[in-house]
Amino acid sequence: MKKDRKYNIKTTDKKTLEKWFRLMTLGRLLDDRAPNYLKQAIGWSYHAPYAGHDGIQLAIGQVFDRETDHLFPYYRDMLTTLSAGLTAEEIIYNGISKDLDVAGGGRHMSNHFAKPEWNIHNVSSSTGNHTLHAVGVGRALKKYKTPGISICSQGESSVSEGYVYEAINGASNEKLPVLFVIQDNGYGISVPKKDQTARRKVADNFAGFKNLRIIHCNGKDVFDSMNSLVEARKHIEEKEEPVIVQANCVRIHSHSNSDAHELYRDDFELNYVREYDPLAKFRRLLLRYERFTDEELTVIEEEMKQVVKIAHKAGMAAPDPSPDSIHDYVLPEPYVPEKYTDGTHQFEGNPMKLIQALNETLKAEFRHNPDTYIWGQDVAHKEKGGIFNVTKGMQKEFGKERVFNAPIAEDYIVGTANGMSRFNDKIRIVAEGAEFADYFWPAMEAFVETTHEYWRTKGQFSPNITIRLASGGYIGGGLYHSQTIEGTIATFPGVRVVYPSFADDAAGLLRTCLRSRGLNFYMEPKALYNAPKAATPVPDDFEVPFGKARIRREGEDLSMITYGNTSHLCLEAAQKISEEDGASVEVMDLRSLIPLDKEAILASVKKTGKVLIVHEDKVFSGFGAELAALITDEAFEYLDGPVKRVGSTFTPVGFNRILEAAILPDTEKILTAARDLLQY
Amino acid sequence: MQKIAIVYSFNTMKTSKIAKRISDAFGKNAVEMVNVEDVTPKQFLKFDNLICGTATWFDGELPNHWDEFVPELEDMDLSGKKVALFGLGDQKGYPENFLDGMGILGDILEAQGATMVGFTSTEGYTFESSGAERGDQFIGLGIDFETQGSKNKERVNGWVEKLKLEFQ
Repeated sequence: MKKDRKYNIKTTDKKTLEKWFRLMTLGRLLDDRAPNYLKQAIGWSYHAPYAGHDGIQLAIGQVFDRETDHLFPYYRDMLTTLSAGLTAEEIIYNGISKDLDVAGGGRHMSNHFAKPEWNIHNVSSSTGNHTLHAVGVGRALKKYKTPGISICSQGESSVSEGYVYEAINGASNEKLPVLFVIQDNGYGISVPKKDQTARRKVADNFAGFKNLRIIHCNGKDVFDSMNSLVEARKHIEEKEEPVIVQANCVRIHSHSNSDAHELYRDDFELNYVREYDPLAKFRRLLLRYERFTDEELTVIEEEMKQVVKIAHKAGMAAPDPSPDSIHDYVLPEPYVPEKYTDGTHQFEGNPMKLIQALNETLKAEFRHNPDTYIWGQDVAHKEKGGIFNVTKGMQKEFGKERVFNAPIAEDYIVGTANGMSRFNDKIRIVAEGAEFADYFWPAMEAFVETTHEYWRTKGQFSPNITIRLASGGYIGGGLYHSQTIEGTIATFPGVRVVYPSFADDAAGLLRTCLRSRGLNFYMEPKALYNAPKAATPVPDDFEVPFGKARIRREGEDLSMITYGNTSHLCLEAAQKISEEDGASVEVMDLRSLIPLDKEAILASVKKTGKVLIVHEDKVFSGFGAELAALITDEAFEYLDGPVKRVGSTFTPVGFNRILEAAILPDTEKILTAARDLLQY
Repeated sequence: MQKIAIVYSFNTMKTSKIAKRISDAFGKNAVEMVNVEDVTPKQFLKFDNLICGTATWFDGELPNHWDEFVPELEDMDLSGKKVALFGLGDQKGYPENFLDGMGILGDILEAQGATMVGFTSTEGYTFESSGAERGDQFIGLGIDFETQGSKNKERVNGWVEKLKLEFQ
């Protein structure tokens, strides 16, 4: 506490002190009361008490400006959110998971306080991953030259997560207006901080970063916390660079109600953390410096008890969410093409390669919508655009503000897309998720998180992102350059998954992705980028609706259901069967896996009675397993034979061409399976 | 020599022990024990020679009993006062902020015009960083019960002899 700083027990006006005391008292009453709801089996089964973090949490809420800022509180931030403006009722609605919960109607875990309407964001339980989101929205604040800062709050142990490093590195590199507040209570559940990193003050691990200021404060002290955050904010606004504030706190209680801290903390420690209770200290200061009398403070304390009583009654009377609502807000309504309603066309121009179709559609959409952005590894150079040149010429035409490279940090690429799209609903982001689909795995946590957002916030936040990935094999790429990952991706509700195999569909699906709200996963069969067989005429304005399969070859005797690289293999096999066996095979290119054109699949099965599902991914647990189950479940009586599948072996994809050929599906394997099936 | 105030928290264990040892070394009539938990500015300013004792808490903070008195200290004119500090720390367990509490207190007292006395050499201590360092000296006496408790007596006695001269 230095006397020249803005807030001081002697000089801060009484009205402000009273406001703080009210908030701190109210917060503590709610924090202390929360476990009772669990004991009475009402709810609040997850409660991470904040007692001991009072100074810094009050300060975060007080420096947050809901008109300009974005706040990412973590699961211990009850007082932060109260101080930022949430009411006692809103805290209780969230705690006991009521439909009126402004974070998302009881969909997210208790003690995850949020109010997306005010940009108090609904964040994950995956500790610290909101650093990426805070940085992403910081990027938007900077690009749109908007006043305001992005505030990210987290515990000190969460800094051990790799994505926190990525986030702070990115904020430093991009010089973004982000305030990282690390609330250090010395423990990650029961793990002491010495087991997390060598330095006791984890923020100092970032001391070598450029464009980054680090401030330490006493998070147990209201004034030091307020002054430090005011100073941090001023620094961010004046120097246009991020700041980390590490606030030393104590954790007076256990980590949460499922933790028993007596098992790993001795009486001495439990006593001294209680002695350092920030609320008790603030009260002592108010009395010692004669800013309030004991009677005045007692009156406030009684008033706050009444506030909690009223809020409790409101909470108990509030409606629960309806079980009928579970399917609401999985995905927002997509853009619906008006001209090409079934995603086909009769255009007869010159064939265009798939890669050119992607490039031209991206450019067209970037011209169409000035709020489009693309980033990824290697995507933005003068003459080069991505490892395969899909984005060639884009930075030249649209500039560095909209088309830019990302560090080799896949989680950062996807996580900051999530964050940036929070800035407004007009923004459309294309994230090249990784150089190759096989490298996408580090981004999985950011991806999974993003699939939750729309549902978890009850439709209040839609991440409008298209993740593009060069996918699949047949290029002799081996592990990490040959795999296709839709079998995994399609298991997550909250994302659309598309996988074109021809240039026109590639263009049409990409346009629809870029005009839709929500998260799209766009898989590009890279072996077809320049393949003549995938080249087609492409209308300039072509659009393909989600969930519309396309019959690429009509047939009567057998249905091949496929997508991506294997569409072409199926067409070759169908032609051969027609020529050599005289049988008529229908080839259906799904184009879109989620949503799935169930109607078209069932119609084809009913027509032919025989189904061969073909995809490049592994047969075992591949997407085809879901298709096979669907068909046997809903069209069993129309089948004249078993539902057969052709795909990769249950192995990685080998590098040697002999191994690759043995592993991936090919025309011969499809022919063999189809002929077997035709025998039934 | 005028009476010396030893200012510290009476509710401490180790700090109190050192305060008592200092008091014994000066002779009981030479000092007055003052509890920082309820000291008023008037009581503090009554003395021209003061010895202030503090531990370091957490990762380099003043204990609450001192921290809550800081707003008073920051409004005092300490010109003409001689102040010596003793600090308690754990150089092995907390080498990154050894004796920081003493350093913080020293900064505040110096800023208010106090003449700091009782500096000691950092030799014989092993730590990574300390807010109490002033060149190759500590701003006061460093005491480490955890690692070098056996040296307490010798360190206190030597320091008191030095202070007897500096408080003249």
